[in-house]
Amino acid sequence: MIDSETQELDQEIETLREDCLRPTRHWSAVTIIWVIFLMLVAAWGFGVYIYQLRNGLGVTAMRNYVSWGLYISTFVFFIGISHSGTLVSAILRITKQEWRRPITRSAELLTFVSLCFGGIMPIIDLGRPDRILNLVMFGRIQSPLIWDIICILTYFTGSTVFLFLPMIPDLALCRDRLTDTKSLFGKFKKWLYTTMAMGWHGSAQQWHTLEKCMKVMTIIIIPIAVSVHTVVSYIFAMTLRAGWDSTVFGPYFVAGALYSGSAGVILGMAAFRKFYHLEKYITPRHFNLMGQIVLALTLIYAYLNLNEYWIPAYKMASTEGALLGDLFWGPYSRVFWTLQFGTVLLPIVVMATPIGRRILPLSITCIVIVIGAWIKRYIIVVPTLLHPFMPIQEVPADWATYFPNWVEWSVTMACLAGIFLVITLFAKMFPMMAVWEVAEGMELNHDKKIAYAQRKKREEALLETEKVVIG
Amino acid sequence: MKKYNISLTLLFLLLWGFSWAQETTKAVEKRESAVQLSFYKKADQTKTARVKVTAKNEHNKYMPVANAHVNVYALNNKAEELIGSGVTPVDGQVVIDLPKTLPLDADLKFTLIAKLENDLAFEDAKDQGSFREANLTVIVNPADTTRTVTVKATQTDKDGKEKPIANATINFYVQRFFGTMPAAEDKSATTDETGTGTFTLPRDIKGDTAGNIVIVAKIEDNDTYGNIDSKVAAPMGIQLAVDKNPFPRALWEPRAPAPLVITISIIFTCIWCIYFTLFYTIIKMSRDKNPPTPTGKPPYGLAYEEWVKE
Repeated sequence: MIDSETQELDQEIETLREDCLRPTRHWSAVTIIWVIFLMLVAAWGFGVYIYQLRNGLGVTAMRNYVSWGLYISTFVFFIGISHSGTLVSAILRITKQEWRRPITRSAELLTFVSLCFGGIMPIIDLGRPDRILNLVMFGRIQSPLIWDIICILTYFTGSTVFLFLPMIPDLALCRDRLTDTKSLFGKFKKWLYTTMAMGWHGSAQQWHTLEKCMKVMTIIIIPIAVSVHTVVSYIFAMTLRAGWDSTVFGPYFVAGALYSGSAGVILGMAAFRKFYHLEKYITPRHFNLMGQIVLALTLIYAYLNLNEYWIPAYKMASTEGALLGDLFWGPYSRVFWTLQFGTVLLPIVVMATPIGRRILPLSITCIVIVIGAWIKRYIIVVPTLLHPFMPIQEVPADWATYFPNWVEWSVTMACLAGIFLVITLFAKMFPMMAVWEVAEGMELNHDKKIAYAQRKKREEALLETEKVVIG
Repeated sequence: MKKYNISLTLLFLLLWGFSWAQETTKAVEKRESAVQLSFYKKADQTKTARVKVTAKNEHNKYMPVANAHVNVYALNNKAEELIGSGVTPVDGQVVIDLPKTLPLDADLKFTLIAKLENDLAFEDAKDQGSFREANLTVIVNPADTTRTVTVKATQTDKDGKEKPIANATINFYVQRFFGTMPAAEDKSATTDETGTGTFTLPRDIKGDTAGNIVIVAKIEDNDTYGNIDSKVAAPMGIQLAVDKNPFPRALWEPRAPAPLVITISIIFTCIWCIYFTLFYTIIKMSRDKNPPTPTGKPPYGLAYEEWVKE
């Protein structure tokens, strides 16, 4: 009985391995078209960036007052999205949530990719990107900008290691099961898998070392992730500008990042489940549980959102009052209230019901949350810049307003396309689930089943004995 | 029928031609513009013309315009002689350097003409002004306890002699980093028959660390002389006491506070040490030569031992 169940388990694990490796072996026409489309968007954006580089930031809609526009809003948004992946994965690992196993890879990948592109957004925002070196050479350690660079680099390194570590056994699996070794691409893949697998052959020592390294990384990555978004908030909060001069900005940014990032993880799960046929492993239960997490995070975010606006609104100090007036009933009011009701309160109502945590409604809700989070960053950055302490006067009319122009949209969309492109290429090269971790989960379940069956058998035997004795 | 067709074709051509003509007219429609000329003579005797270009916007209001090409001419025996040109920046004002000597008429005046001409976007516009050259001399005595600043305004007559300018209004300023600050609430003085004006400098004007200030006397927007200024430096200000520690206890003070540097260094050194230890461990792991586990799976005792404990 046990032997047959073990055989069945081995069969299931084998199916799992093949299911995960299958997408890395074939490129469908749809994938090729999708990749070409993304490359075209990225190339267009790159060309526009070169145009911006040659002609200066004057080709964007940014002027003297709004010098942080769409680029910096997107930077904050991408860093926020990057938050969730690692944090969700690390927290679920540390609390030993068994259901985490199929979703950790996509979450960690999302972190890695959004950090890559989030990190380049401030460089794009510089008219002279070559001057970034000045920050390294002449940077002042007391400047939040330097803290930001240090934190993001540290987090990027940590997230890369955190993504790479659990990939090692899977890379060895890819290396050992590579079918196409004759074509040029096949040879490249062989070299890539062999190099990245780092001589993995699954000895007991290697498993122990891997487990130990992952434990260390899981613990260390959580405070680093929290620090990154706190420091991103410092760039704003450590100025005296109306709307930014707030002590709640650190936790507010962290909560906002977690809320939008977790929604991003759900979208990743839904996409990979659908396009890579992983329905067997990423089940509605995963969506239900992630939905509950996003619901809790949205509630925390809503509370901090209330703090952020309610306290200055109660006082209505002159400069804060002017900014809040613009947000509450001025030119930004429509966007502001749409964000509050549409992307915070409505998702809470939807996700509070079990139906709302089903795959389709939850995915739609998460799309709304992610788009809303992006616009929210814009609402944090731009209106404050348009409310300086000195009145805006005797300047050209277009300095007093801001809306991103085609240059900024092109470059930003190229970065977004870059994120999708890297994720797509990654998914075509490596398994999108941690195969060995899912297999380990299956084995654990199997052992639990056997232990449960044995216990039940023992209890029944005891019951029989008692009956005989009483009889 | 044929006639009818020809008529229709002609009508169509007429309409097309009319619409094309309208579009063409629209394409070359120029904005109504205005030019404003001012003449400046600085303390170092340099002469400039400041030309402001405005044009009507869609709300029928004159607004400063950028990228307008402006020429400045001097009138020489009724002939216009081009002496400078420039393109307006975003504030619509361009400053054009003028030659040291300008052609004078019988009244010892020179005439400047600023023109916006042959521009594709704006209608032609011009402004002109006749000015007479004048000089200002500021005299101060730092030892004078009454703190009187004397200014002498003169103009050159036909014989080449300096002649005083009477009844000219002169304003007094103090030079500051981004411009000039009025020296007092009532900053003006009027010259007498000898061309002399006096002004009492207030005592509360801050100077540099040695108490030096630069006093600027100006004739401004004068119909005859334009804008003339003259400067003199004198130790008549309050000595500036430089605060050696202007930002006490602020984290962003010029020198990073030691606790901040120590905290950041400790935190990030620890994190990066852990990273490097991990890199070393991973590299060591890659060199492991032990045989694989018999099942090819993680050995019993990793994930399992946690579960057993629970």
